[in-house]
Amino acid sequence: MAEVDFAQVFQALPSPFMILDREFRYVAANPAYLATTGRTMDELRGENIFGKFPNRGESGRRLQESFERVLATGEPDTLAYLAYPIPDADGRMTNRYWTAVHVPLFGADGTVEFVMQNTVDVTEYARLREAATLPFTSLSAETSLIERTREAAEASANFRRLFQQAPAFFAVLSGPTHIFTFASDSYLRLVGNREVVGQTVAEALPEVIDQGFIELLDRVFHEGYAHSQESARVMLARTAGRPPEETFLDFSYHPIRDPSGEITGVFVQGMDRTESVRFAQRQRLLIDELNHRVKNTLATVQSIASQSFRSTSDVAAAKRAFEARLVALSQAHNMLSDRQWHDTEMDRLVCQELSIFDPRQVRSSGPSLRVNAKATVALALLIHELATNAARHGSLSNPEGSLAVEWGEDAQGNLVIDWIERGGPPAREPQKHGFGSRLLHTVVTGELGGKLQTRFEDEGFAAHIVLPSGAYIAQENSLV
Amino acid sequence: MSEPGSRRILVVEDETLVLFNLEDILSDLGWEIVGVAMRLEEARRLAETAVRPDVAILDVNIGGGLVFPAAEILVQRGVPVVFATGYGRDGLPPEWQDREVIVKPYTQADVERVLQPYSQQACAAG
Repeated sequence: MAEVDFAQVFQALPSPFMILDREFRYVAANPAYLATTGRTMDELRGENIFGKFPNRGESGRRLQESFERVLATGEPDTLAYLAYPIPDADGRMTNRYWTAVHVPLFGADGTVEFVMQNTVDVTEYARLREAATLPFTSLSAETSLIERTREAAEASANFRRLFQQAPAFFAVLSGPTHIFTFASDSYLRLVGNREVVGQTVAEALPEVIDQGFIELLDRVFHEGYAHSQESARVMLARTAGRPPEETFLDFSYHPIRDPSGEITGVFVQGMDRTESVRFAQRQRLLIDELNHRVKNTLATVQSIASQSFRSTSDVAAAKRAFEARLVALSQAHNMLSDRQWHDTEMDRLVCQELSIFDPRQVRSSGPSLRVNAKATVALALLIHELATNAARHGSLSNPEGSLAVEWGEDAQGNLVIDWIERGGPPAREPQKHGFGSRLLHTVVTGELGGKLQTRFEDEGFAAHIVLPSGAYIAQENSLV
Repeated sequence: MSEPGSRRILVVEDETLVLFNLEDILSDLGWEIVGVAMRLEEARRLAETAVRPDVAILDVNIGGGLVFPAAEILVQRGVPVVFATGYGRDGLPPEWQDREVIVKPYTQADVERVLQPYSQQACAAG
């Protein structure tokens, strides 16, 4: 098998490579590196890199620190973005941008003997961005900001990752047209993961143009004041291709100044408060709804009192009737409360009221069927009055009598309830309609919009109730 | 003197017991109830077709819906409307806030007070 000549590989690599010793002197450089730097190997060999390409600025310091980190730790080190001017062939200094990876090469004793550098000249890429979007100064300010943040991250526990992934959102806007140069993950999620970097706010988020935010950014940029707002409503496209959605944000805009004090951009930070604002709105709705129910319940109780005491001289009996009606109402509320005030089972609704009777006298049957909150309260009071009447004057006033309650759904989706009393005294249509029959009639034909047939026969009283589906079927998400 | 004679009133109220109480109060006060609606569509129909009442008392929240479409019809017919609600005047939309309101639970005195202008009108006219 043929041996691979690694020296030849090194020479053939298409991107620039070079190797320094521990004193930062050139040991080797491949033709790609020589071409990029415009030097020959003879010019470089044995020379200190900082002597050959002197840089007393921040970039020089960062480059040296990176080498030193590799020597000290034996770990590779990366400089994602490095501005490092080098003299061109004519001896003039030109600005160039680099991404550099520094890799340790170990000696026989296991210590780092050399550092190998692979650089990529990203000047063209930087110039392209510069030409496309940014004033030169703000680009370099931004890149140095990001680069410094990145290096801080390596020194202190993934700081930049936290910044990038923080629940709060951050964005950096540059120049008078507010070009995005940085946006955190949460910011991108906020705007439906659109490509915003490199675009103006108006280009990236066209839906905000008429919502006053660009005027605010203009003021921050030109007048240098910081703006903050809580629970601001903004219509934002939260999902690509979908219409804007109501979003609530706590946010602030702060001017970014360069060392001379000139404003170069706007720093945006904030929190998506949509969930908590929605929660507060929902809570407000629920409190309003609770208030509505309490007031209606009080009005109902007031009416029960007035009906119970209205036309009687027997105050003790009226008090008993009043209390029994309150209990029926309260039990209906308990059933609803168990089901988030949404609906109840017909079975439970009927059995609850009939449970006080001897089970040998009372029979109830029907399919599992749910009725909504309004029908629950109305039917609970109705069944209570019918049962009370049966116990006082009807079939349940006689130990031999019986009561059957049957319910079901007919072909049209109506709820059909049959109340059949048998074996009691003969039933006779009352001359004067009392509270019970008034309630039965009004609940069925008025409140629930249904049909009622009553039969007063020798065998006993019977009622045939038909309720339209709209009156009893529980509607999802309905509060009432 | 407050006996309104045959003054006519229309009532919209979706809860049976609350309606009973109101009916009793109105009959004690001598009003003739010319129509009762307990559901929205019935309220709209009645607002259009009932013999023109002198005033209407409308429960705001009817089975989860709002009574305002029926109120609109009545107002167009020149019928004054009074709202009955647990929320009070603040619960009404701005365009209806200038109307008379009775807050649930209301008493006979509340109803008498709020209907007073329409009762007196009867005396003046009669």
